[in-house]
Amino acid sequence: MKYLLSLLVLLFINITTASVTTDLSAPRFELLDSYGESVSLSSFKGNTVVLEWTNHDCPFVAKHYKTGNMQSTQQLANEQGVVWLTIISSAPGTQGFVLPAKANQLTSSRSAKPNHVLFDPEGGVGKMYGAKTTPHMYVIDDQGVLRYQGAIDDAGGIGFMNKNLLEANNYVKNALTEIQGGQAVSTRVSKPYGCSVKYKS
Amino acid sequence: MKKLYTNRLNLRLALVLFLICFFPLSTLSNSYFNTGQSSVTLLTESNQIGGEETLLVGLEFKLSPGWHTYWENPGDSGEGASIKWNLPSGFKASTILWPGPERIPVEPLMTYGYEDKALLLTEIKSPKEFSNPVKISAKINWLTCKDICIPQEGQVDMTLIKGPKVANQFTSKLKEIASTVPKNFPSPYRVSVINEKIFLQFEKEGSRNISEAYFFPSEYGLINYAADQKLEKNDNSFSLELSSAEVQLKTNTLKGVLKLKVDGIKEFYALDLPLEKNTNNPLISISLLTGIIFAFLGGIILNAMPCVFPILSIKILSFIEQSQGSKEKLFHHGLVFSAGVLTTFLTVSALLIFLRASGEAIGWGYQLQSPWVVSLLIYLFVGIGIVFMGNIVLGSSFGNFGTLVQNQKDLASSFFTGVLAVIVASPCTAPFMGPALGLALLQPGLQSIVIFLALGIGFSLPYLILSIYPQLLSKLPKPGEWMQTLKQIMAFPMWASALWLAWVLSSQVDMQSVFAVLLGALLIALGLWLLEKTQNSASILRRLTLIFSLGLMIFSIWLLPITSDNNSPNLKNEENAFSAQKLSSLRSEQRMVFLNFTADWCITCKVNEAIALDRDKVKKVLDEKNIIYLKADWTRKDPEIASMLASYGRTGVPLYLLFPSQGDPIILPELLTEDLLLDFLEEIN
Repeated sequence: MKYLLSLLVLLFINITTASVTTDLSAPRFELLDSYGESVSLSSFKGNTVVLEWTNHDCPFVAKHYKTGNMQSTQQLANEQGVVWLTIISSAPGTQGFVLPAKANQLTSSRSAKPNHVLFDPEGGVGKMYGAKTTPHMYVIDDQGVLRYQGAIDDAGGIGFMNKNLLEANNYVKNALTEIQGGQAVSTRVSKPYGCSVKYKS
Repeated sequence: MKKLYTNRLNLRLALVLFLICFFPLSTLSNSYFNTGQSSVTLLTESNQIGGEETLLVGLEFKLSPGWHTYWENPGDSGEGASIKWNLPSGFKASTILWPGPERIPVEPLMTYGYEDKALLLTEIKSPKEFSNPVKISAKINWLTCKDICIPQEGQVDMTLIKGPKVANQFTSKLKEIASTVPKNFPSPYRVSVINEKIFLQFEKEGSRNISEAYFFPSEYGLINYAADQKLEKNDNSFSLELSSAEVQLKTNTLKGVLKLKVDGIKEFYALDLPLEKNTNNPLISISLLTGIIFAFLGGIILNAMPCVFPILSIKILSFIEQSQGSKEKLFHHGLVFSAGVLTTFLTVSALLIFLRASGEAIGWGYQLQSPWVVSLLIYLFVGIGIVFMGNIVLGSSFGNFGTLVQNQKDLASSFFTGVLAVIVASPCTAPFMGPALGLALLQPGLQSIVIFLALGIGFSLPYLILSIYPQLLSKLPKPGEWMQTLKQIMAFPMWASALWLAWVLSSQVDMQSVFAVLLGALLIALGLWLLEKTQNSASILRRLTLIFSLGLMIFSIWLLPITSDNNSPNLKNEENAFSAQKLSSLRSEQRMVFLNFTADWCITCKVNEAIALDRDKVKKVLDEKNIIYLKADWTRKDPEIASMLASYGRTGVPLYLLFPSQGDPIILPELLTEDLLLDFLEEIN
C-alpha cells in the first residue's frame, strides 16, 4: 500500500523550477571534471563547498583572475579545507567552452586553485541553480545547505572596469569566514554581475 | 601680379587657419572616438555657454549592427556605461539621463539596454564666473555586446566658448532624446504584492490604445526579469502583472521605468513608490513548540473525522476481542498499529517535502486534486464497505489488506490498519492541523519530521492507551453477535464516503469518466463478493475465482481517469471565484473581503459551508456590511491558490481570511459555527 501511495505521489512530479533558495538544501548534481572523473556534490558532505560559474573569455571573469581576486578567494577556501568547484556551463561553440586540456592549462597559467573544474555543456546544472552570470558564486555548508548566492563581491555595477577589486567587500570570503566561525552568514544573497552564462540555445 | 596672387592665397590660408583655430570645427575634432566595434561622439546643444547655465550634452554610441550596450540596470547580465567627467572648477555634471531602454533577451536570461545605438545625456551646470575657453572631457567605459561582451574605453573632449547659448546642428537631436528620458508618471498608480505576484495598477486617461506595457525595474531582487508581464485593461485602468524574482532581496520600493506603447508610440515613465506594507507577504508562522502541540491535538481530533471514524471503530472491535487474550499481546498490537500510522505519516511527509523541494506547490490533501487518487479511494471505500458487510477472511493469500476481521491476530494486520487509517484520513484536516502542517511543509527539515511525528502520535494515542488499559473497554458488552452487526452498519459511512468522492470526481473529470469509475467500483464489489462466496470452496474453484476477481480489479484500475479535464462542462466558473488580481484590486479600493479557501474533497470545508458560510443570516450580514465574498476553490491544482495559502503559512484548506478595509486580514478558526462567524463579521470594519 505504501509503495502504491509513493507511486501515486510520484505521478505528480514535474520539475520546472530554476532557482535555489538560500538556507535550503542545495540541489545535488554530478558532472565530469577536467580529468574525466565524475564528481558529485553529495560526495563532499562534511565539507563546505564553493561553486564558481566561469567563462575565461568573459571580461568580468578575466578581471577577477588578472587582479588575483579570484585566486585569493580560492586560497582562503583552500586554507579552510573548503572544496572549490569551478563550473563551465558554456555550450560547445560558445564563448568560454573549453576542452579538458585547455581547462587545466587555464588553471595552471592563472595559478587558480579549484579542486575540480567541471563541465556542464548542456547547462542543466547551471539552470537548476539559476546561474545567470560569470562569475556567479554559491556557498554550500557542510550539511549541504546553501548559505550564499550571488556576486563574488560588491564591485559590480557601473564603473566595474575601473574599480580596485582588492578593496571590494568580498561576499564569498565573508561567508566562508562566518561559516568557519560557526556564525550565520550576514550577506546571504547579492546581485550577481558579469557576462551572461552562454547556455545552449 | 603673380606675387600678389600668392599673397592673397597665403592670406586666405591664414584666414582658414585662424577659423580652424578659433571656431568649433576644430574643437569638435577630439570629440569622436572609435574602438573598432563601436564609436562615441560627444555632442553639445551649443558651443557657447553662459554663467549659471545648464548645457545639455550627450554621448552618442554607434555600435556595429546587432550589437548592444546596457541600461542603468542591465538586467540579468552586463553593465551600464560609466562616464567620468573632467570639468573646470565650478562646473558640475549631472548623473547620466538614461533614455528609456529596450528588452534584449539572451535566452534564458533577459537584459535591458540599447541596440545598435544609444545617446546618453548629461546636464552640465556652469558657475557664475569662469575663464574662457572651457575645456571639458569625459572618460567612458562601456560594454559592447552581442553574444559576447567587449569592454571598451575611450576619452572625448571639447572646448566651449563663454557666451550666450547658440543652437547648432545637434540641438534638436539632443532635445528630442531628452524628451524620451522617463518623466514622472502623470496619472495615479499603485502597487500591491500578493504572493509571488506584484500588481502595478495605473490609470491613463484618454489613451485606451495601450497595446504594450513593460516595467523595467531599477533594482535587483524584486522582479523576475525574464518572466512575461501580463497587461489587463478595464476602461481607463490598467493592471500589469509582474512575477517576483526567483531570488528575492528585501526591497521597500518599486522603482524603475514603465514603458507604454500608446497608439503605436513608445512612452517612458519613471515610477518610484513604496510597496504596500500590509499586503507584503504577511507570513504568519507559529513557533515549533506550538506547531508540535497543534499537530498532536490535531492528530487526536482526526480520529473523530468522518473519513476515519468507521475504520477505527472496527479497529476498536478487534481490541475488544483481543482484550480477552493476553495483555502483552494486546500492547504489542497497539504498538504495531502506532508504528503503521507513524511510518505512513513519515513516508507521506518525506514525499511532500521532496516534492515541495522540487518546486511543486502542493500541500496536505493535494493528492485529492488528482482524479486518479480520488478514483482509487472510491474503490478502496467501496471495497472496505463490502468487506465490512460480508464475512470475507482476507488471509495471507490476498495480501494484508488492512485486515479488519475479528479472528485475525496477525501483527501485520495491525500495522496495515494503521497505514490504511492514515490513507483514508487524507481527505480530512482536523482543527489545529492547518497551522502545524503549514509550519512543517513551508520550512522543511528536521522540524517538519518532528511535527509529522507529533501528528502521528496524537492520531494513534487513543489506541495506545486502550492497548495499555484494555479495562477501559470493559464497560462494553462481551464480544458477540452485536459486533458483526456494528461492522455491517459501518459499511454505510464507508459507502457514503465513496459517494461523496464520486461527487468530488465529477468536478474534476467529465461524466463519462465518473461513470467508468462507478463501473470499476461495481466490478470491485463483484470481485470481492465472488471471493467471499468461494472462500470455503475446493481449491481449484477458489483459485479460478481469485484469478477472475483479480482480472476484474485490474480492469477497474484500467478504467481510471488519469488527468483532469479542464474543458469539463462541470468546471466551475463562478463570479466570486478568487484570483490574486481580483483580490488586489478590491484591496486597493479598500473593500472588506471574506476569502474562503475550500475544496470539494475537504470535508471540513464542506461542513463549515453547510453549518455557517451558506446560512442566510451570514449572507445577509455580508450583504449589509458590503463585504465581498471570494471563494478560492482548490479542488484542482492551482499554483496561485497554493502560493496564497503559503503566504499565510498554510499548505492546505480550509483557510478563512477576513480582510478589514485596511491592514492585515484576520485568520478565522478552521471549525466555524454560524454564531462565531457572525461575531467576526459584525466586528470587522
